[in-house]
Amino acid sequence: MVCGVNQVLLRQEIRVGADLDAWLAHGGGDGLKQALAAPGQVIAVIEQADLRGMGGAGFATCRKWAPVAAATAADKWVICNGNEDEPGTFKDRFLLEHTPHQVIEGALIAAVATHANHVVLYVNPQQPAALAAVREALQQWRDHALVPQIEQHLDAALALAVVPSSGLYIGGEETAVIATVEGSFPFPRRKPPFPAQSGVHGAPTIVNNVETLAHVPGILRFGAAWYRGLGRNGAAGTKLYSLSGDVLRPGLYELPMGTPLHELVFEHGGGLLQGKPFKAVFTGGPSNTLLTRDDLDVALDFDAVRARGSRLGTGAMIVVGEGTGIVRKVAEYLNFFAQGSCGQCPPCKGGTFQLTRLLNRIDTGRGVRADLDAIENLCRLLPGSGRCGLIDGAVTVVQSSLRQFRDEYEALLMA
Amino acid sequence: MPSAITCEDALRRWRAGATPTLRTQTTPAAELLAACHPDHGPNARVPLAVGVNRGDACQPELAQQLQANALIDDVDIAGAQLVTTDVLVIGGGGAGCAAALTAAEHGAKVLLATKLRLGDSNTVMAEGGIQAAVGEDDSPQLHFEDTLRAGHFCAEPALVAQMVLDGPDVVRWLIRLGMAFDLEDGQPLGGKLLRKKPGGASAARILSYRDYTGLEMMRVLREAVELDARIDTWNRCPAVELLSDERGRCAGAVLYNLEWRCFVLVRACAVLLATGGAGRLHLNRFPTSNHYGATADGLVLAYRLGARLRELDSFQYHPTGIAYPPHLAGALVSEAARSAGARLINGEGQRFVDELAPRDVVAAAILRECAEGRGIEREGQLGVFLDTPTLALQHPGILEERLVTLRHLARKCGHDPAREPFLVYPTLHYQNGGVAIDRHGAASVPGLYCVGELSGGLHGRNRLMGNALLDILSMGRRAGASAAQSAGRFIAGRAGIGHVYAWQRELMLAGLPLQRKAPQLFPTYAHFDLRADVQLASKTAARCVGDPR
Repeated sequence: MVCGVNQVLLRQEIRVGADLDAWLAHGGGDGLKQALAAPGQVIAVIEQADLRGMGGAGFATCRKWAPVAAATAADKWVICNGNEDEPGTFKDRFLLEHTPHQVIEGALIAAVATHANHVVLYVNPQQPAALAAVREALQQWRDHALVPQIEQHLDAALALAVVPSSGLYIGGEETAVIATVEGSFPFPRRKPPFPAQSGVHGAPTIVNNVETLAHVPGILRFGAAWYRGLGRNGAAGTKLYSLSGDVLRPGLYELPMGTPLHELVFEHGGGLLQGKPFKAVFTGGPSNTLLTRDDLDVALDFDAVRARGSRLGTGAMIVVGEGTGIVRKVAEYLNFFAQGSCGQCPPCKGGTFQLTRLLNRIDTGRGVRADLDAIENLCRLLPGSGRCGLIDGAVTVVQSSLRQFRDEYEALLMA
Repeated sequence: MPSAITCEDALRRWRAGATPTLRTQTTPAAELLAACHPDHGPNARVPLAVGVNRGDACQPELAQQLQANALIDDVDIAGAQLVTTDVLVIGGGGAGCAAALTAAEHGAKVLLATKLRLGDSNTVMAEGGIQAAVGEDDSPQLHFEDTLRAGHFCAEPALVAQMVLDGPDVVRWLIRLGMAFDLEDGQPLGGKLLRKKPGGASAARILSYRDYTGLEMMRVLREAVELDARIDTWNRCPAVELLSDERGRCAGAVLYNLEWRCFVLVRACAVLLATGGAGRLHLNRFPTSNHYGATADGLVLAYRLGARLRELDSFQYHPTGIAYPPHLAGALVSEAARSAGARLINGEGQRFVDELAPRDVVAAAILRECAEGRGIEREGQLGVFLDTPTLALQHPGILEERLVTLRHLARKCGHDPAREPFLVYPTLHYQNGGVAIDRHGAASVPGLYCVGELSGGLHGRNRLMGNALLDILSMGRRAGASAAQSAGRFIAGRAGIGHVYAWQRELMLAGLPLQRKAPQLFPTYAHFDLRADVQLASKTAARCVGDPR
């Protein structure tokens, strides 16, 4: 069992920025060559490696790739989703800025495996350094000899493009990504049909998170067994954890998948500020159930966290210590959701706004018991009423904080 | 205590009306300062360990305040009332009032919060006057040169130039507000302003109203603020922390209402700090001439939020603070006495310094006399004489007409200034440095303005008499106008105390203690404990059983 920090994606020597030669000198390109040598095997290797979607869903990557590979279509798309805009998540921008080639090579391997002739890097323009690095890196690939080899394999021209996202939170939802790539406003769409069946302009499309694709070259290069061996407690690979909140050393940590929460917070994060007691963690950005003191032993992988009724999400861990109020934090997140709602589904548009208003009332000492009742009623009414998961995520946070920290809400009520 | 001459012996050697010649100076001013001024001792400075000014020299006791933990935690402000305004002015002295008035004139909604009461400030204690180059034999150029020279050329020339050019207009503004100034003798109303020559200046440039110029100024400023419907005034509401948004912009402040005993969050487009200096920290164990509220609050808050500071190791010690009786120690005998001609006399009956030299030189000279055994001791208090009886003999009637405050002070001391000299000793008077600002009074943190004694760069390492009143009005008005421009343009999505957590992280990583909390708000002898006083927060704070405070 290996417990090292930053041993794969964030290795110091591969943080070369947009420098293709330096990337290739450190073993880059090997994965792509392996894929080109045996394109039919790629999906099987990814499946054996148990690579999951690191953007939050934890969905097996091979199950997104296989239908696209199997489909017969003139155009197929691979989109690398770098919209990252959730509070507390800062992993994708780091990868794109410091090792863009790792990510791009992963996307190219996906194209090889699924016969996709369009590769799009979808990057949040609010992170200008990441966007600039990706633009430069992609230009270097266009001039490189490996691309014609891919085109030979595809028997078609390979279109490489950088698409700046809208910068809106909702633009990270996969159907919204497709809408943006098509050139329209990032309104999420109903699923099904799933993007693998009908994505960009109806073509089969893969939308993968930056971190997911960054893992692909390594898996191809060193094999599925190596990747599985990196994890702990039965989980596979490594995971980027964005640690923030009331800890001494916040930051981005690449740790074995399945590292226990207390190890992340107390060993890597240096414990809580001022030595305060641990209170809770908002996982995976704010849209999940809170983990509390009883969950400090949970292994941080998709399945183990789900077993506690929460979700790992993007790997963001916003730590809250005693001395920080839960209500204000929740009100801030709800405000973020209200700002981020695209507005096409009225329950989401009105619901997030109303929840924010009620939470702010309570947080600023003007709340009464009826406000708390109204919040609870909204939490019962709203879930499932939107095209995408935004409203569900918003309700989950409120509901879970109410369940676990009801006394804090009650203490703030005027009457 | 070094050896000294008793008061009785000294009085025997002193004779009213005598004019002893100045002892020939042997040490040049620079050497005198290096040897005797409190800014220059071996323990006068330490490097700061955290914050923007990491590594810069700072007065040790002030460094402790700057590197302290915040008074409040996030739970304390849960449930706190939220108020929004365009411009939040913190501080109810001259600078705060001038800024509030100007911001309101420019159309902003202004909230002025003050720790004590409106006008309860060092401004009212300014006695000497205000400098402005209005005379025919004077010019802003001369004023500029005097200011830079007195500040040992450490001041920011662009700021000084702007201030001296503002001088005449500031005086005109004050007159329009209704402030009275002394006029030349024999002139009817509407005559020429009476000008006096301050120490360290090359022309007569001090405009005054008797010897309570600051009080007269505050009278009109306070009236103007109170009558202005666009300005809300909150008395007894000290700021305990600033608010920041997610980008680090200053987004308001956390106030503590001393009457209601609760926290209030004020969200503002711009925050203007005018909290004054640090005298009540009694740096280097000096008595102070400062008023009760001068506890470096603004300096601590601005630094924690990331504002750059400057000249933190430079303070002005006014040469003539009361030394006897002890309960008045530190109270100021105005420089007006010296500029009118009063002499300083040591225990041997000698004059030992040019009384109109810059303040730091005169203070250092007094400290040298005391250190070398020529000081005068009375019931354990050490000092030198300020020869008011001789002044009264030379200028009959001056005590009654022009030095009113001085006479009042002598009465409090229990003696007659026309018969007995004052025993004086340097007193901690002014913070020369402070928050680094630009020409609009903006600090290095967006949304934050700092004016008055709190700010640095206008006076270098030593301030001229009369420049403080000019500073507060010139910069106060400019900052007020500039802050009003941001009205409505910056509405923070989130305003919280996130910067406090970043700060605590820095403190912990630097190995500094987290137990010391600042701002202190009141002098140590005030026995004020915010934590004990907060009743509202106690219900949530009770939850934090493990919180080591």
